[in-house]
Amino acid sequence: MAKKVVIEVNNLTKYFPITKGFLRPKVVAEIKAVDGVTLAIHEGETVGLVGESGCGKTTLGKCILQLYRPTSGEVIFEGQDLTQLTDKELRPLRQKLQVIFQDPYDSLNPRFTALDIVGEPLRIHNLMQGKEYRDRVAELLNLVGLAPYMAERYPHEFSGGQRQRLGVARALALQPKFIMCDEPLSALDVSIQAQIINLLDDLQEKFGVAYLFISHDLSVVRHISDRVAVMYLGKIVEISNRDELYSGPLHPYTQALLSAVPIPDPEVETNRQVIVLKGEVPSPINPPSGCVFHPRCYRAFKDCETIVPLLADCADSHQVACLLYKSSYP
Amino acid sequence: MKPLLEVHNLTTNFHTQDGIVKAVDNVSYDVNVGEAIALVGESGCGKTVSALSILRLIAEPPGKIVSGEVLLDGTDLLKLSPDEMRKVRGAKISMIFQEPLTSLNPVLTIGRQLTEGLELHKQMSHDEAEREAINLLRLVGISNPEGRINNYPHQFSGGMRQRVMIAIAIACRPQLIIADEPTTAVDVTIQAQLLELIKGISRQYNTALMLITHNLGVVARYAHRVFVMYAGKIVEHGSALEVYHYPDHPYTAGLLASVPRLDEPRKTRLLPIKDQPPDLILLPTGCAFHPRCNYAIKRCIDEVPSLYEVDRNHYSACWIAQTGQKPWQKKSS
Amino acid sequence: MVAIPKTEVVAVRPHHTIWGDAVIRLRRNKLAMIGLAFIVFLSLIAIFAPLITPFSFSDQNYYEVLEGPSAKHWLGTDQLGRDTFARLIYGARTSLSVGIFTQFIVLCIGLPVGAISGYAGGKIDNALMRFVDVMYAFPDLLLVILLSSVFRGTYFGGSIYMIFLAIGLVAWVNIARLVRGQILSLKTRDFVSAARAMGGMGNYITWRHLLPNALGPVIVSITFNIPRAIFTEAALSYIGIGVKPPNPSWGAMINDGFSLIFAKPYMLIFPAIALALLMLSFTFLGDGLRDALDPKLRR
Repeated sequence: MAKKVVIEVNNLTKYFPITKGFLRPKVVAEIKAVDGVTLAIHEGETVGLVGESGCGKTTLGKCILQLYRPTSGEVIFEGQDLTQLTDKELRPLRQKLQVIFQDPYDSLNPRFTALDIVGEPLRIHNLMQGKEYRDRVAELLNLVGLAPYMAERYPHEFSGGQRQRLGVARALALQPKFIMCDEPLSALDVSIQAQIINLLDDLQEKFGVAYLFISHDLSVVRHISDRVAVMYLGKIVEISNRDELYSGPLHPYTQALLSAVPIPDPEVETNRQVIVLKGEVPSPINPPSGCVFHPRCYRAFKDCETIVPLLADCADSHQVACLLYKSSYP
Repeated sequence: MKPLLEVHNLTTNFHTQDGIVKAVDNVSYDVNVGEAIALVGESGCGKTVSALSILRLIAEPPGKIVSGEVLLDGTDLLKLSPDEMRKVRGAKISMIFQEPLTSLNPVLTIGRQLTEGLELHKQMSHDEAEREAINLLRLVGISNPEGRINNYPHQFSGGMRQRVMIAIAIACRPQLIIADEPTTAVDVTIQAQLLELIKGISRQYNTALMLITHNLGVVARYAHRVFVMYAGKIVEHGSALEVYHYPDHPYTAGLLASVPRLDEPRKTRLLPIKDQPPDLILLPTGCAFHPRCNYAIKRCIDEVPSLYEVDRNHYSACWIAQTGQKPWQKKSS
Repeated sequence: MVAIPKTEVVAVRPHHTIWGDAVIRLRRNKLAMIGLAFIVFLSLIAIFAPLITPFSFSDQNYYEVLEGPSAKHWLGTDQLGRDTFARLIYGARTSLSVGIFTQFIVLCIGLPVGAISGYAGGKIDNALMRFVDVMYAFPDLLLVILLSSVFRGTYFGGSIYMIFLAIGLVAWVNIARLVRGQILSLKTRDFVSAARAMGGMGNYITWRHLLPNALGPVIVSITFNIPRAIFTEAALSYIGIGVKPPNPSWGAMINDGFSLIFAKPYMLIFPAIALALLMLSFTFLGDGLRDALDPKLRR
């Protein structure tokens, strides 16, 4: 059952220049935050994007939504390349592309009431007024499990989990086709995270919205995603169906990442060996030659220092960028 | 065997403009020599405040340690003078903080921050201290310690700063290290490195460890005994194995059920605990957890439960558990 | 399809808006309240001046020159026989109106410049800020004197509106920088990104999101600007290029009193104390506002 593609990302790069000089600034180096990412997200699907800080996952998400303008590459949505559109031209399309942010304390304007916050998309696009507007906001609040009488309250009167629900309600206001969820659970307590995950799941079932779920929490990503992509230093190193990735990770980084997650069970943990990677994530200004992961890789060999592996199919809908697999040789 | 650290009935309050917050409410726990315990709970449960109270690092207005005693090798830390307390901090008990960015002084070289404690507590000369500092950096896995000893914190990455913090913490060979959410601000692979390091060091020097975290996986891997906190109180404690496999409090059971596990087949739906943690100023009557509890009975609304030994060396503050029933425990697992 | 469970608000703290909370905190600050009380008190006196004193500020009485405080003239008379008390409370009008109305000019220029500069960034920001830097390089009093002298020759000459303009045109740079700084830091906040992601455009974001959140420090700065403006006006009048006599001004009174400092010290003391108290009151109020509006001090 082939699903339609909602968003297609082709060869996206985002480099942040570092300039020196005052009157005629010269570019001395570039932070290669996203370095050639190709990704397709289908209708009603959740693609999980995992990786550690500095890998570029948040930057990638923002580039898709044109909150950052990509340095090169395309983002195709509804037949148009978003990178070529001006802000004005993007405006109508933005109704269908929404965001849920990480920090529930920062993503809501502290001077807006809940009504203002959730209804803002409706106001910006001049879609509804008066009673119709208030009813729609009440409907959205109900949808995320908040009582409508709380519409008059300010963000500081809600708990973290409730604020995040407001963020979700706001993202749903215009019935988007795609929501980028940027670490939506990281700032929440453990018991609340489960509430929000269930909420996101239910809403996806109800409305068929696609998610790009960015997170560093591998257990959560496994729960909610259909496909998972692993990023390292601006590149996707492995992407696959969820079950395959977790049961049979191919890339050494993915293997290390999964092994680093402790299981909440002392018995299991006493018998488990952790792959401890050596060293630190290198700076994206000066990425290593060849395979960017090779200095820390416990399975690296000679070729890894010089040849850049390609992200290629090595099994059915399982792609990996690692020279351990023949398909990655250019 | 007498415990190394005993906290008895500690209560710490905070005065806010809306009322008094009982951040730590009659809390007792203990750590044995060379043992690793964990204080688990979510934000606002009082775990960090209790640790800060031990070291008397609570800002006196608006906070106040109201009652209780903290016995380190028999001496009550709460009764010491500020000078005597200073001899304890860093030398007998040291703390690793959550945010390495703000816990290191940005204008001092890390060498200076290391030698500071050594010169103060161990009365080392400057040269001796510097040699020891280099050793410590090597011990925590910082390459080229001779070269890096004169670097400033901003020249290190987050993970390395955390290692420096660990080095500072163990510099004077303390008897107890308190690690407050040491891994929340770092990535999961770095977390693995740091925790293995802390574990290795505490084994090597027989240092006791008090791990404060909300991460249930970390606790399972590194702690022998667990104290679960909720709304300023301890609601359950026992050995890690016991508590995880046979939780005697519905909150603990709820936490464990709401966390997705990599080693289990994927559930179609997670089981969250309903609603949110209480506002400490407007605590519910009786058991603070009752509004969120699926099993609450009338007694839970009326009376505040006290800790009761439900199983051998396994305590729970729950009226239902005390009757012997534990409906939240899965029969299968 | 599973029904989405509701979260309840079991019990809530008393409903506070952000401003309401700030007001409560301000009220607790005794110094700020005293300052506010004094300002209100002085304003009332200034407004109701004709009801309080039978004398005007310009009635000259050559028979009652340089008298000390008496039952008829509560604070005595000056060298032209004018009642000092009357001059003092009419002078309050001058000081207060200068203090407050200059801030309108400051806001009218400073807010937009700061907002545009902060939001647009790039070349516009660069150009505007370099201009601000140049203005900053000059001592403000000097610039004000310069402008006053220029204005004196024109239509305004010597009226209080000239003073408003002169001071306002110099003081806005402070607010511009402040607003720009606030906007720069607010720009990166997630709720602004959210608004952009929804399709909000520059104007909308600036007016609805950025400026309202930048208000706090701006209000505090304005409150501190007022005594500076008052003092500048007094300084101008002291040197003789402020409001034209016989319009009352504390600065002019201080100047008059200075020459008689040994003979009739009260002529200098009363306006000087009045000026000092008014400035102090605004400063206390400003301190209080700053603490009340600081979100980090809520607990």
